[in-house]
Order: sequence, then C-alpha cells, then structure tokens
Amino acid sequence: MIAGADITLDGSGAAKIGLAGNEGDSEESFFHDILVQGYYLNNQKLVEAYVRNAAARTKELIDWGMRYNWDGKRAVLSQGTDINRVLVDQVKKRNVTLLEDVYVTDLMTQGMTVVGAFGVDIMRGVFKEIRAKAVIIATGGWQRAYSFTSAPGGLSGGLHAAAYRAGADLVNMEMVTFCPNVILWPPALRGDMFPYILIEMFGDLLDKHGRPFLRDEYHPLIYKIATTTEWNKLIFSMAATRIVLRGDGSPSGGIYYSIKTVPTNIIDEAEKSYPGWRWIRTDFSELMEWLEEGNAVEVAPAAHYMEGGILVDEHAATTLKGLYAAGECSGGLFGANRVASAITQILVQGAIAGKSAAALAKKTTLRSSDKEHTRRIQSRLSRPFAQKTTVRSVDVKKKIRKIADEHLWVIRNGKGLQQAITELQSLAENELPRVSIQAETRVYNKEWIDTIEAESMVLVLEASARSALMRTESRGVHNRSDYPKADNDKWLKEIFVREANGTMTLKTRPVTITKTRLPKGKLGFEEGIIRAVKELED
Amino acid sequence: MRTIKVKVFRFDPSKDQSPHYQTYEVPSYPRMTVMDVLDYIYENLDVTLAYHSHTSCHRRACARCNLTVNSRAGLSCHTEVNGDITIQPLPRFKVIRDLVVAGL
Repeated sequence: MIAGADITLDGSGAAKIGLAGNEGDSEESFFHDILVQGYYLNNQKLVEAYVRNAAARTKELIDWGMRYNWDGKRAVLSQGTDINRVLVDQVKKRNVTLLEDVYVTDLMTQGMTVVGAFGVDIMRGVFKEIRAKAVIIATGGWQRAYSFTSAPGGLSGGLHAAAYRAGADLVNMEMVTFCPNVILWPPALRGDMFPYILIEMFGDLLDKHGRPFLRDEYHPLIYKIATTTEWNKLIFSMAATRIVLRGDGSPSGGIYYSIKTVPTNIIDEAEKSYPGWRWIRTDFSELMEWLEEGNAVEVAPAAHYMEGGILVDEHAATTLKGLYAAGECSGGLFGANRVASAITQILVQGAIAGKSAAALAKKTTLRSSDKEHTRRIQSRLSRPFAQKTTVRSVDVKKKIRKIADEHLWVIRNGKGLQQAITELQSLAENELPRVSIQAETRVYNKEWIDTIEAESMVLVLEASARSALMRTESRGVHNRSDYPKADNDKWLKEIFVREANGTMTLKTRPVTITKTRLPKGKLGFEEGIIRAVKELED
Repeated sequence: MRTIKVKVFRFDPSKDQSPHYQTYEVPSYPRMTVMDVLDYIYENLDVTLAYHSHTSCHRRACARCNLTVNSRAGLSCHTEVNGDITIQPLPRFKVIRDLVVAGL
C-alpha cells in the first residue's frame, strides 16, 4: 500500500463511472482473464463478486477524493498513501474507535461462534479483550515469516493462526507470490522495488558470470512476456531462483541488476518519467548514481502476496459464525496466481464483509466469552515471563525464517517440504513452549512480540508446507521441481486445512465453478505461460 | 570488519528515576543502517532493548522508526552509519521505553 497502487476494473464498468476508452470490454472478459491468470484454481463465486463490484467501489474512492490517472484500459493508477488518506478520512468521519498497536492474538469463542477478539496492548503491556457481535479479519499475509520480503513489519499470519485455532478453515496455503528484482544489497536500499520497475525500461539481470541469463536461456516470447506484462513476477522469480539453485547467484543469495550496457542519453530520457529519480515518497537517485557508476545491485525475489488464506464464501463469511475475512488474509479469489489488483480485492471484499457483519450484528446480542478459554489464552501468553530458560524468541524466529527461505521459497520439492514439516513441528513442541523473556516489563517488550509472532508463523508455515506437499504438481506460483507440470486432470482442486482433534487435517474440494469450464491435460511452466498469454490475447 | 561504539539511550519510566546510556560494540559493514545496528544489538547483545520495529515499513514511508542519531532526527531504516554513534528517542515525545515514544 506504500508505493504505486493500481485498482483494476473492466472497461465497460469503467465507462459507466465516466472513465472512457475501453467500452468494448466486459465483466465476462475480465472474469475470464482472472481465471486464466489464476490457473483456473479460483473460486468463481468470489471472482464474480470481484468483477461485479469493482467499478462501484472505484467510483466511491474517486468521489471521496482519491487522486488518480486512468490508463484507458483496465487500471486506475493511484498511490497507496493517497488511498490510505481517503479511507482514513472516511473512518474519522464516521467516528469509529481505533485501537492502535493492539496485537490481536486470539479470537474469543462460544462453541463455534466468534464473540470477540483478545490480544495485547503492546505500548501499555496489558491484555485487551474486545467483545463483538461480529469480527472481520483484514490483516494481510504472513510475509514476515520469510527473511526477505517487500511487506512491512507485523505481517506474521497472526490472525490466520487465531482463526485456525478457533476452528476456521484455511485454503490454498501453498500459494505465495514473490516480487522479483527487489534490492538485497546494499543494505540502505534493501527492500526497494525500483529495479522491478526499471527492468521494464532497460537493463539486464545477470548471473555471477555477468551473463544475461533470461535473454540467453529462455524462449524470446517468455522474455517479452516477462518484460512487458504483469506475468513478470512469476517469470522473473522462477528464472532468478533457478540461477541461485544452480550456484550461479550473487554473494547475498540473489542475482544482479545492471544498466551498464544502456547508453547515457537513454537513461537521461527515462529520467523524465521520474524527475530527479524520485517517485511518490521514494528517492531512487542514490540507486541510479550507484548503477550509473557501472555497479550492479544484488536483487532477489521477495515474499510479496499470499493467494491463500482464511476460507471465505462470496459473502466474506468464514466457516465460523460471527467471523468474516476480507482482502489478502482471505483465500480463494485469485486461485494459484494473482495478476489483477489486490487493492480492488480490499475494496470489494471489505465492503461485502462490512455489510455481512453489520447485518449479523443487527440481529445478534453481545455475548460474553468463555472465561476458561480466555484464561487459557492469558496463561499461554504469560508463560514466557514465568520461566527461565535459554530459549530466545529471536533465535526461534530466525530458525523459522530459515525453514521458510529454504523449503517454502519459489521452487519447492517433496523432500524439502517434508523436512520443513518435521522442523516446524520440532520447534512447536520443543522450543516455543520453552521460550523465556529476559526483560520483566511487558511495556513494548520486543521479545514478547517476537514470541507471539513466532507462534503464528510456525502454525501458518506448517499449513503452507503441508498443502504444498499434498499438491503434487506445479500450478501458478506453486512450483515443485519433482512435479514440474500443472496437472489439470488431477489437481483442479482447492486444498483446505483445519484443526481436527488437535491435529492439522487436510482435505480437498473441486474448484467452485459458476460458468466457465475447466481445462484438461498437463502443461510445463513455459508452455503454460505462452498458452495462457495467447488465450488472453484472443 | 570495523567495530563501532554505539551509545544508546535507555529509560524504563516504570522503574528508572532518570535515563541512562549504555554503550555497545557493534561490527559494522559498508552502508549499514541504524535499524541494522539496533537489530544487531537486539539479536546478539541485549534482548531487553526497546526500539520501534513491529510495524515499520522498512522503506522510508511510515516514519514510525523515527529517532535521533548524533543529535539529528532521522529514520532508522534509512540513516547510514559511518562511525561511532549516539542513538536517542525523538525529542519532545513521551518516552514509552528506551527509544520507543508515544504518538508517532
């Protein structure tokens, strides 16, 4: 939400809200494209809701004062900071009470009904209990379970874990999108995504021998698709990871981005689009200076977006009464690969969840929580203060991230996933319960925050690893070296995860279809992309 | 690898009469940031240190990691370290603990 932010909608819907230029487009065509991009794993009911509501939600933001440009096709181009400003203004106008820096760790339940949320006010170091007639989770993904990510702090799957512990289902947890070409080195620029944007204009991705591997080793069509379409995330991430896995990567574990072969006047011309090499709130002048001196930056894919999450239906309802989920933390809309906008997802699903929750709240009375359940939560959260061991949450967190980096990265394999499950279970059984916190105060206690985050990371990664192990194929962003093809005959199924008698249980169900039939046969990575792009052009 | 001296403001309003400073020796590397220094101290030398990081964007946008480095305000995720430093909370804000202040 920080950098550039696009809202996607179909051209006919756009024309109806005054954005002209692509009247020949239709909701049906937008719907179809999202399915092709999602490798047909999408829940079609959720996709229908997305395309049907996109234009109305966009108009709402425009009416509220969002600054934007319309690309004349399918994208309203704005900035994350501006969308935030507009939404926060609306929240303030409605006198909504906001609790900042309250880390929700658990949901309060009565049987299978959610009656509130429980957590820690980290600035005061006290527990916080919030009773509610309905709860909406809108907390993004679990990117911080990886050591390299384009996402801000805090995204550790905390509410996925809370929903799971309360009895909700998680779905498509093996699906993780990586944003390629994010800076790994130098440290002051670490996390910047500008090379991801620059590569569309010029420059080369190089291996440690200085070879432009994408040009050298791939079909020219794949190179063209990677540099000119939104399939860039998937293609660049795969290509870079293959280089690193074969030992041809950079010292920090990535590849190189260089503009050394680009003539100076071409660079000067490009600067006109980004005056002074500044863009939104970000200053890329330092990076450009470094590159123009002839250096390369080290770049790598960074954990970026989770297609999987809490299972919801088209009303944003989870499998628990009183619990709704919206945006990235929910799963199913984008299937195995997201190309359309996640901001549109926030807007559409957020509004649906709000309406559903309000309707329920109107006919429900506030219920008290199960005191015994609340006591168990408090006791779990307090435990690390009561025991003295040498187990530090910061070390456990590092071990967790190492598992995610090694085994749940862009390319996975059965042996590694099995190892990840074993290692995560060992952490859950032997280390997490023994974590001890050194500082006595609970006020902004970083070790406490790390303990809470480590607990959810282990749970969410185990769900991700088990789902990835079960899916014996490669589909969209889930790629397995031991099963390199998409298997449409066997795997057009969603995998969902739930707790049953204290164990993590996996089940499958066929993809939810409303009108589009599913493809058949097996396809490899490159042929799959080429065929998909041709299908999108038709 | 060069080692730098890092002098850090410490204050727990619930039990300390007044703030004090603690000095850590941290191995530095080219283009290391203040956030990298604080992470190093927390991960390797002193887990009791409080500094804002739980919701920081690490990309110079959210400004929640704002603090004072050698008497100048700056974002810890982006301020580079070129030698010994003194790190203090942002002035004129109420200190919650160590480098964490209320209202950012």
